[in-house]
This record gives sequence, structure tokens and C-alpha cells, in this order.
Amino acid sequence: MSYVNVTGLARRFGGTTVFENVGFSLDKGEFVTLLGPSGCGKSTLLRCLAGLSRPDAGRIVVAGDDITDSVPQRRGIGMVFQNYALFPTMTVAANIGFGLRMQRLPADDIERKLATVIDLVELRGKESHYPHQLSGGQRQRVALARALVVEPRILLLDEPLSALDARIRANLREQIRDIQRRLDLTTLFVTHDQEEAMILSDRIFVMDKGKIVQADAAETVYTQPATEFVARFMGSCNLLDAAACTRLFGHGIDGHLAIRPESIELLAAAEAGADDLPATIRQHQLLGNVIRYQVESRGTVLLVDRLNRGRDDLLPRGSEVGLRIRREDMREVG
Amino acid sequence: MRADLYHRLVVAALVALLAVPVLATLAYSLAGNWGATILPDSFSVRWYLQLWHDPRFLSAFGHSLLISVATLLLSTLVIVPAVFVVFYRFPALDRTMNLLILLPFAVPPVVSSVGLLQLYADGPLPLVGTPWILIGCYFTIALPFMYRTLADSLRGMNLHDLMDAAHLLGASTPRAFLLVVAPNLRTGLMASLFLSFSFLLGEFVFANILVGTRYETLQVYLYSVRMTSGHFTSAIVMSYFVFTLVLTWFATRLGKQESQA
Repeated sequence: MSYVNVTGLARRFGGTTVFENVGFSLDKGEFVTLLGPSGCGKSTLLRCLAGLSRPDAGRIVVAGDDITDSVPQRRGIGMVFQNYALFPTMTVAANIGFGLRMQRLPADDIERKLATVIDLVELRGKESHYPHQLSGGQRQRVALARALVVEPRILLLDEPLSALDARIRANLREQIRDIQRRLDLTTLFVTHDQEEAMILSDRIFVMDKGKIVQADAAETVYTQPATEFVARFMGSCNLLDAAACTRLFGHGIDGHLAIRPESIELLAAAEAGADDLPATIRQHQLLGNVIRYQVESRGTVLLVDRLNRGRDDLLPRGSEVGLRIRREDMREVG
Repeated sequence: MRADLYHRLVVAALVALLAVPVLATLAYSLAGNWGATILPDSFSVRWYLQLWHDPRFLSAFGHSLLISVATLLLSTLVIVPAVFVVFYRFPALDRTMNLLILLPFAVPPVVSSVGLLQLYADGPLPLVGTPWILIGCYFTIALPFMYRTLADSLRGMNLHDLMDAAHLLGASTPRAFLLVVAPNLRTGLMASLFLSFSFLLGEFVFANILVGTRYETLQVYLYSVRMTSGHFTSAIVMSYFVFTLVLTWFATRLGKQESQA
């Protein structure tokens, strides 16, 4: 029996359907990411779970309790917002302790819980600071502590890292995952960043136009995309239509053939065998540790990624090369 | 350098021009005797002593304070929740409210006074001649100041996320408003209250037409004693001016604090 069960959930605004018939389940302690482009309905779905938006249909069950019609105060759900939503006139300690005060806990309990969570998010010494005196990363840790201190049954994170710079983002990402594992907290994380989703998640739910189009482990979503959208959204991908497949491999397919750029092996022309594709380098881009080549083979342009091993390794434009693609690295997508 | 000097001169000239009537009134209020000479023959504070010992002045000043404070209390109780509801639940109403709050400025006070006289002279609510009609009237004068300031504060605070966060942490909507939103409005509210207070204290047309000497306010008193002595009325004007100046200074200070926060 899953810890969280969502069935047939729908949300409409006027005549616009944000999502329809969405269903999924989460296990206790699982870290799941809702991944999708802006406007796909992931944040609205999160708000429906939190009780901040009322679904038009469907049920939400957490640990056996049907919370579909419960007010946010009674759901036992913690949420971290993209823009922190810290209370500006309260200190760090007052912000974090707000939920405990609402529960009317004794002062001793509040102090004890505050001390534990402040240590957990490494904010010791900042208790009397106000939000405007903190950095972005510190503010987000206050928001996280505020959501954690009330010991929620589920933690919802709505793009919590998107307002931070890359270095702080990476640190906080690690910290969030570490805390989630330590507390064994069922967590639903919303992002449009596929790299973030792959690093953090036990499972990824990819959303497109109000539907969950694939729900799998990160590796499966990346290597075996269920749809053309997933293939495109999760990193770079060569998507070949029937005509391109016929030109390259001599047979067509119904949908598209997805091949990741890093799974294509680039060979010197002399090393290429009969099964390899002859190709010509058209362009290259330096992406740091990877060089991305645009190669043309039998009238089709393909992206090929190769580790950057230094200047001498760079293949110049116009070079004749061979392409080796293993059958297991090609995936038909609808 | 020349341009800088020119700008300084223009500003100095403007300040001097604005200061002349104030300084002249101050000088006149402190002059013992000022007849056919350029400067007063003597200086005295007797006009101020006479003024601040006049029971009629003190009563009028008390009436003005009472009406202004009552109006602002009523305004706070009505407008603060109203602005919150507009921004939290019915944001589309903000446009309508912005039009509504202009009405007290669009209709000249003399015109609305005549209308109010006809409505409230008799009938079920004979309020003319009582302070109640002024409180109602002044509410409409305070409304634009307060609505605009509070609306700006709410616009700048990410209201919905703050309320959502408070709800998820267990607060009801009234508690979330009182504990999370209201403290953010405090500075803006105080600034608008001080501004409205200064404005209401100086209001004459409504007070004179609707209530007159039946519940004499400061401005009506000033008007009625205008013929007694120029020195005396100058002392009234200066007393009122200093009082308003202090209030405005407070309001500006609060405004600055808010922008720094």
C-alpha cells in the first residue's frame, strides 16, 4: 500500500484545463520530482496537494486519510515556496517557530524543536536575524526549516532552488537530499531543471500539457524516454523520423527513433566498419568537458557528444568520420 | 560649477519665497506692537498665552482632535480589512476602488456639502450640526490616502504566498492576517494616518457648512475670530502650522523607515 495515493485529479480555470485525470502514488520516504516545462501544471498540482487550490475532480489520500476536502491547516503538509515566502517582520527563530506556535505547544517544546531544526539546516547564530539580512541560500534554508519543524507527513518543494546562483544551488540541493533521507520524509519536488531532477530523485514524473507522460526512475526516464517530448526535454537527443531512419538504416519506423548524442561513437574513417555510418563533421561546439559535433550522414544531421581530451583531439570541420550506434542505444518513441 | 550655482540660486529663491509668508506670520504673531515701522516695535508671546488660555480655542482644538481621531479609527477599522479583502480575494475590484477613491476629490466640497445638508438636515438621520456627519464626511477624505498607501504596501509584499505559507503552518485566515500581514502594513498605515490627520485638522468647508459653531472645530474658530486681531489669528495659524509640521515630519520618517525595510 502506497503512502500517498492520488487518483483522477483534475483542475480547470474557467474553460482552461490545467490537468485532467492525474494519478500517481508515492511510497513512504520516497523523493519524487515533478518535472516539466513552465505552464505544464506541475505547480498547480502541488498546490492542489497542499490544499491551496481546490481540485475539480479526484481524490488525494495520505497514509489512509482522504484529505481531498481538508483545509491546508489540517493536511499535515509542509511546503517550501520558490520565493521563500518568509514573514518579513519576524526573525529567523520566529519564522521557524510560527507553525509550532500555531499548534500551541509549550514553550519548552518549541525551544527544543527549534534548536534541533536550526542545527539541521545549519543556521545556528542567525536566529535573531531578519529575512532581509540573510542571503538567498540562508533564506531558503529558513523556509525549509519552517516547513520541517512541524513534522509534516509530506514535504512539497516548489522550485525552491530556481532563484539561487549555481554554486549555492548545488550545495542546497545536496543538503535538501541529505535532510530528506535522514528524516525519511516523503517529498515531492517541482522543477523544470532536468539535471536537478536526475540528481535528486528516486523517481521522476515528467509532465506535459497537464498529463504525467512518464513516471520512472531517473535512469529509465533518461535512457528509455516514453515519448518524443520526454526524449527532447531530458537533455539533448537526436530524434529521427521515418524518412531519416530509412536513409540511415534502410528501414522506416512508425514514430521517431531517439538516440542520445553521447551514445554515438565517433570513429576515424579508416577505423569504420561495414555496419558503421559514413559521416562528415559540419560544426562543433565546446561545452566544457564535452565537445558537441554536428555531423552529416546520408543527408541527415546528427548531434554527437565526445569527451574533450584537449586541443589535439578536436576534429576539424569537413573531416570524414564513421559513426557507430549500438542497437540498444536506439529507442522508438511515440 | 556655474550651472551648480544657478541651480542652488533657483532653489534658494524658491525656498525663500515659500518661507516669506510663514516667517511674516511668525513675526506678526510674536510682535507686541507693529504699526508704521518696517520691523515690530516690540516682541511678545502674549498672543500665544492669550490663545492657549482661551477656553473656546481649547474646546475647538479638542473637537478637531476628537473628530479627526474618531474618523481615523473608523477608517482603520473599515479600510484595512477592505483593502486586504480586495487584494486577497477580489483583485479585480482594485480598479473599481481606484476610481471610487477619486470621487471625494472629483466633487467639490461645497457641492457635496449642499447634497449632505439636504440628506441629513432632517428625516430618519438628522445628523447636520452633530460631529457624526463630519466623521462620515472625513472618512471619505481619509479613504484615498489610506487606500493608496495600504494598497502599495500589499502590492510589495507577495501577499498570496505569505498567506499560503501561514495557512500551511496552521494559521486561520484572520490569524494569518493579524500575525503576518498586519505587521507589514503598520508603517504604511501610520504614515497615511498622520497625513490624513494633518489634512483633516485643516478642513474648513465641510465643518463650516455642515456643523458650524454648533460643534466648533479649529478652522471654524479661526474663521470666526479672524476680525479680532491679526496678531491673535497669526498665533493660531502658527500653532496649527507647528502641530501639522510635527505630524508631517513623523509621517515622512515612517515612510522612510518603510522604504528602507
